[in-house]
Amino acid sequence: MKRSLLPGLPMVALPLLGLCVFFLHPLLSVLMRSLVDDGGTLTLDNYARLLDDPGLPRAAWHSVVIGATTTLGTLAIGLCVAMALHRSRLPGKALIRGALLLPMLAPSLVLGLGLVCLLGRNGLVHRLTGWPTDIYGFWGLLLANLMYGLPQVVVIVSAALERTPARHYDAAASMGATPWRQFVDVTLPRIRFALWAAAFLVFMETLTDFGSAVVVGGNYRVLAMEIYSEVVGQRDFAMGATLGVLLLAPALLSVWLGRLARRRQDLGDASPGHALRPEQHPWRDAALGGVAALAALSIVVTLGTVVYVSVVRLWPYDRTLTLANYLGGMPEGYGPMATSVGMSLLAATVGVVGVFMLSAGLRRLPGWLARPLQVLAALPAAVPGMVLGLGYVLAFNHGVLSTWLYGSVAIVAACSLYHYHAPTFLTMQTGMRRVPDALEDAVAVCGGDTRHVLRDAVLPFAAPAAISAFFYLFMRSMVTLSGVIFLVTADLGLASVSVMRLDENGFLAPAAAYATCVVAAGGLALGAMRLLLHTLRDRRHVA
Amino acid sequence: MHLRIDDITKAWSGHTVLDGVSFQAGESDLVCLLGPSGCGKTTLLRIVAGLTPPDRGRVILGDRDITALPPRDRRMGLVFQSYSLFPDMTVAANIGYPMRLRRESHAAIAARTSDLLARVGMGDLHARFPDQLSGGQQQRVALARALASDPAMLLLDEPLSALDPAIRAQLRAEIRSLQRSLGIPTLMVTHDQDEALSMADTVVCMNEGRVEQVGSPRCLYERPRTRFVAGFVGKANLLPTTLVRDALPAFLERRPPGAEATFELCVRPEDLTIAADPHGEGVVEELTFLGSLAHARVVWRGRSLLVELPGRSTLAQGEAVTVDVSRGAWVTT
Repeated sequence: MKRSLLPGLPMVALPLLGLCVFFLHPLLSVLMRSLVDDGGTLTLDNYARLLDDPGLPRAAWHSVVIGATTTLGTLAIGLCVAMALHRSRLPGKALIRGALLLPMLAPSLVLGLGLVCLLGRNGLVHRLTGWPTDIYGFWGLLLANLMYGLPQVVVIVSAALERTPARHYDAAASMGATPWRQFVDVTLPRIRFALWAAAFLVFMETLTDFGSAVVVGGNYRVLAMEIYSEVVGQRDFAMGATLGVLLLAPALLSVWLGRLARRRQDLGDASPGHALRPEQHPWRDAALGGVAALAALSIVVTLGTVVYVSVVRLWPYDRTLTLANYLGGMPEGYGPMATSVGMSLLAATVGVVGVFMLSAGLRRLPGWLARPLQVLAALPAAVPGMVLGLGYVLAFNHGVLSTWLYGSVAIVAACSLYHYHAPTFLTMQTGMRRVPDALEDAVAVCGGDTRHVLRDAVLPFAAPAAISAFFYLFMRSMVTLSGVIFLVTADLGLASVSVMRLDENGFLAPAAAYATCVVAAGGLALGAMRLLLHTLRDRRHVA
Repeated sequence: MHLRIDDITKAWSGHTVLDGVSFQAGESDLVCLLGPSGCGKTTLLRIVAGLTPPDRGRVILGDRDITALPPRDRRMGLVFQSYSLFPDMTVAANIGYPMRLRRESHAAIAARTSDLLARVGMGDLHARFPDQLSGGQQQRVALARALASDPAMLLLDEPLSALDPAIRAQLRAEIRSLQRSLGIPTLMVTHDQDEALSMADTVVCMNEGRVEQVGSPRCLYERPRTRFVAGFVGKANLLPTTLVRDALPAFLERRPPGAEATFELCVRPEDLTIAADPHGEGVVEELTFLGSLAHARVVWRGRSLLVELPGRSTLAQGEAVTVDVSRGAWVTT
């Protein structure tokens, strides 16, 4: 036989090498560092030290409490909002959708920043009414996390609601089921697993989020804050790594459970049938609409406050409007912004090419080889950004690769790329499934080689997924904070880190200006993506 | 060109899908691989196309062993069941694709494309995109593209299965006449016995990875060799040897030697004649009117028989009848 037995292998080789060097290697570095003492001998002392400091068990407890309350809260509100979007006759659904997009475009700390400006000790509400507001601590963190997690729950639950065809409701109604019984008997069973999947996702994200905690957490210390203090404050990498492993365990568990839930998820009927047209039901619409409007309004007001703060002279004392914060108020200028854009473009470009090759190659590998590789490609979802970032410090600050990578844009791009590798890979894989096998065979029979198969059969079907994956990576890289916080150096600033530094130093207005720029860049990218996908749908090329 | 399949064997993860399959096809014949789904016929076609390597055996085209040749060097034209046209290329671009891969001149591609378009009756639709065509039109384009590479052989993988019955019948005739006029050897996979009987020069009837019988459509229908072929190609009444000995002793003399249970007599519904007779041994259980024909289910000597009658037959349900058998073929069980 002239043909190679594993024709997919050359395609997956480079992406796999990337995963090993830039994902597995840092991850194992963290694990190793937590298991050795300063002399380098294997020990469990680091784990014993966890209990020496009473702050650490308390932080762990705080993380679990905030994770659980945020999860329950976002599920309840998210279900209402998704129902309002898909099972009501509410007007203005587009406005709610638009408001829910906003948190996805912003670094998580921007919501915290908005809350501080609005409800902090010196916030807008206090200034206007004189009420003694103080948002720092549990409630502030909860609010910021709720707003951050809500859109993700709505997206997942909405997808499940859209997959339920109208005929199930027609059947239930024809048998005399009331709207409430239809909800219990038709809707709930079909979104059960989506709810579980969303719950595990939000729990994991809240548990590992750093941005909100650093801005509004105040004295309510959580694990992510402790890792940051150990590494940046006390240079205690061993302790940071140990805490990272501690954070990794529940994150791994919840991602694994979330995957199980997603796999059990009802995939919908083969024939979706006609779209559901909800019946007239004013009370239902009023209740769902109330919750949805409140949620959307909270997000808009919080982010609106950030934009407002960005255009006042000296927050909160001198509130005359000015563009000074955009024109010169930033100590480092727009440099970090430019670095962020460049880094994100690099991460998105390399990421999409790599993930495309990986998922196209995996289709050509036998199942026993492809399945473990798929798990590896999806594994980064279970690794908190902070743990990965710490791993990069441990793995690349010394050793052979450090001369090229230390303090470079490339290493930050790699960290962003592999932090968000799993969703990118899953998007691309879903796109690849749309490629008809017959088309790939047709190219081979017509006389084409692998290059032609990819260009003529795979790409036309996978292009929308590739575009989505590219912009997803770009937007996430623009706003990521937890993964890159350890990687920035004096010479290498990033937009999201600048927001945090300005906020830490009390420069709220310049911080807000910077945050607004980041959100605007995200919005532009989102617009570009929609435009591109839209034109692609109409595009035909005559070869 | 002459195709020879020699002892092809293939297993997927321990499950044998093809078990020593051998047959030959004539110079410009249309050969149908007929069998139920899962019998291995598509795997065999893919092995001939070079898309799947066999575990054992040889594929010989003309006097060349092509078993180890990659698909692009085999010069096969392949038509799939569906979804094999490039969605972002026009009809003309789809047909020109194999020629472009071989870097033929623009003029040559244009000339050949318009010739093929005319042959499949799609000349005025050359600028359309696949999603603007009906299923039948898409298959015509796929056929034209398969012929564009000037193939040594045409391979059709259930090309009509995804189409409406009316279009299917029309395309059947078109493919057949196109294949005859080009004289191109063709291998077609189908699970539809009507398709196989009406189109093929030779039918290879397959079951569970083995060849059951090879022969002309008529031969398979009139002289099935196995119980499977008798039941899969057309409708069959299978009568055990004991019953034949009691009721139809005349058929015994052509029975091949062997134990009682190894052979059964296959009687086609149209080879049974029934006539109303109050003393007859059969009873009409059920009548199905089919227009020009009618099917009767007759209980006779404890067995249920399917009998074909003219549509105008005046027999009624519950009537007693005599049963007469005009011809039958012995099949192995």
